[in-house]
Amino acid sequence: MSFRSLSRPNARSGMGVADESKTTFHELQRKKTHRYVVFRIDESKNEVVVEKTGNPAESYDDFLASLPDNDCRYAVYDFDFVTSENCQKSKIFFFAWSPETSHIRAKMLYSTSKEQFRRELHGIHYEIQATDSTEVDLEVLRERAN
Amino acid sequence: MMELSETYACVPSTERGRGILISGDSKSDTILYTNGRSVVMLDLNNPLKVSIYGEHAYPATVARYSPNGEWIASGDVSGTVRIWGAYNDHVLKKEFKVLAGRIDDLQWSADGLRIVASGDGKGKSLVRAFMWDSGSNVGEFDGHSRRVLSCAIKPTRPFRIVTCGEDFLVNFYEGPPFKFKLSSREHSNFVNCVRFAPDGSKFITVSSDKKGIIYDGKTCEKLGELSPEDGHKGSIYAVSWSPDGKQVITVSADKSAKVWDMSENGSGTLNTTLNCPGSSGGVDDMLVGCLWQNDHIVTVSLGGTISIFSASDLDKSPFQFSGHMKNVSSLAVLKGNTDYILSGSYDGLICKWMLGRGFSGKLQRTQNTQIKCFAAHEEEIVTSGYDNMISRISYKDDQCTNEEAIDIGNQPKDLSLAPLSPDLLLVTFESGVVFLRDGKVVSTINLGFTVTALAVTPDGTEAIVGGQDGKLHLYSVSGDSLTEEAVLEKHRGAISVIRYSPDLSMFASADLNREAVVWDRVSREMKLKNMLYHSARINCLAWSPNSSMVATGSLDTCVIVYEVDKPASSRMTIKGAHLGGVYGLGFADDSHVVSSGEDACIRVWSLTPQ
Repeated sequence: MSFRSLSRPNARSGMGVADESKTTFHELQRKKTHRYVVFRIDESKNEVVVEKTGNPAESYDDFLASLPDNDCRYAVYDFDFVTSENCQKSKIFFFAWSPETSHIRAKMLYSTSKEQFRRELHGIHYEIQATDSTEVDLEVLRERAN
Repeated sequence: MMELSETYACVPSTERGRGILISGDSKSDTILYTNGRSVVMLDLNNPLKVSIYGEHAYPATVARYSPNGEWIASGDVSGTVRIWGAYNDHVLKKEFKVLAGRIDDLQWSADGLRIVASGDGKGKSLVRAFMWDSGSNVGEFDGHSRRVLSCAIKPTRPFRIVTCGEDFLVNFYEGPPFKFKLSSREHSNFVNCVRFAPDGSKFITVSSDKKGIIYDGKTCEKLGELSPEDGHKGSIYAVSWSPDGKQVITVSADKSAKVWDMSENGSGTLNTTLNCPGSSGGVDDMLVGCLWQNDHIVTVSLGGTISIFSASDLDKSPFQFSGHMKNVSSLAVLKGNTDYILSGSYDGLICKWMLGRGFSGKLQRTQNTQIKCFAAHEEEIVTSGYDNMISRISYKDDQCTNEEAIDIGNQPKDLSLAPLSPDLLLVTFESGVVFLRDGKVVSTINLGFTVTALAVTPDGTEAIVGGQDGKLHLYSVSGDSLTEEAVLEKHRGAISVIRYSPDLSMFASADLNREAVVWDRVSREMKLKNMLYHSARINCLAWSPNSSMVATGSLDTCVIVYEVDKPASSRMTIKGAHLGGVYGLGFADDSHVVSSGEDACIRVWSLTPQ
């Protein structure tokens, strides 16, 4: 009986992850210096790099505005909310943003590199895969977080 | 926030040559009937008070209240019986697969513990009686070889079940557990309905041979007949006893309903003949269903008109109302001295409704063509169907004053009226546009791409044509030709509907790929995008009179209202507006949306802005 076949992951692209990406994520997670971070794949360097960060005062709408309409991105967002038992909680969401109108090449690239990248980010609570703006509605986050 | 304000219910679905069985609850004075997959509960004293149950997976055929009024059992064409609560949320109690074919009649026993269902069993059991909560059989019902059209349980002890059907037989069963007792072949045609008197002493069967026969309730001996002089001249489809058991009403294909007096020895003599006023004289006036409840005598015609007579005053003319029987595919809100709504269903029926009042009239048409697209302005309606004709109907009150059909040479796909420009009508077909002025085709322009939707400004100067590929072509109209001004690309599916805003500063387009976009007319830039919240094709679109809101209706049964100044995510959604999909949409005023759909109902929703 071969167990290796049961846990073989999806196709990988061999993309690297820049150190800056990992440290920026740690800053969001530990020190709360950012509200969100948007990552981009830099094909020339063959790695995932930080494109933009947002300061803690920025809102969810500012984050959505920094996601391009026609290109894919990865993003992490620190979501603060109040639970039904009146507890203040904070959860980190990972977004795989892949709009329908983007190039097929970009979609393929981002989807094959996602697993490798996600493995470097420890401490993500929820993942959201979004193909258009209706899938990144604030309601979606509220429903997932509890 | 959207709330249901009014429902204009559909009418029972009828079939030529067959009767329908409607039932009711005398305590709450509601009647029950079915249309498509919905079971409709209508309050007789206030027809606007309607409750609809849509949980059947197949078209429902008959529904009946339990004797204590708490439960409703309804059957459908797949042979399934659902028992659900009559109030509030209509919670399902039990569901049984009772017969192999459609269920034609359903009856509760007087104690509410047993249900008998009859219908089409495809050769196997055509009648089944079972306990309401466990579904276990309470008898063997052989004796019928064809579809069993009706069944009845004697309300008093000793219990008996009578069934009748297409094999011309009336079968009598004793029990429980019910066993065949005897069979009677008095009728010479389909026996359509059998009903016991409220005290159980007699029962009456009516048939397509125009006769009504009365039997003794305990022994099943023939007692007498409904007197043949002044009898019905057509098949009798249904019968109903009065609450005191002294009179009976029968309805027939001869377009009349007759009230008979029952004598003690079991023969019936005619008391009065009721004719429904306002009849057009056609097949639609054949009466197919009846019910006598408290003081109301309800009759249903083939065309779907429900007439409520007063039993104590038979000469008073009845309260009549009607509605749609099929998918209401288009809607127009017209403002005049009174605001009213015109709705058109694909079978060619156009009805008029008034907010707060409900049904207000049916347009009597001379040529009944089917309707696919519909545009209305003041006293004129233009419709197109599935043939090459465009029908123009002028009407006054409810009568059509003029109806003409124009052949445009191709099947019309969409049409748009420009009422301010003298009488211009633009119709699209597969590959182009046809111009009509004054009811005559003045030019046919081939545009070179597959056309799906069209909109024209009321003054007839600008037109937008949407294509199969999702591109919007803007044209300026000069004389009888079009000059292309711009092509807008954004949609990723065939365009289904385009509408200009009432103030003409914007237009909105929607496509089959679930997306809608609002554009600025002058700059041709997108004003509001990401309106992607539907999960199936968008069928219809409407602007509010103050041009601040856009509503979209889709096959996914939802209606979504967006405000043009706010982002698309702050939308108001109505889920499950119409079972089967929303096909027609309009704004009655800035805070009321009217929608219509596959379930043949029209609903008015009130908006409270957040």
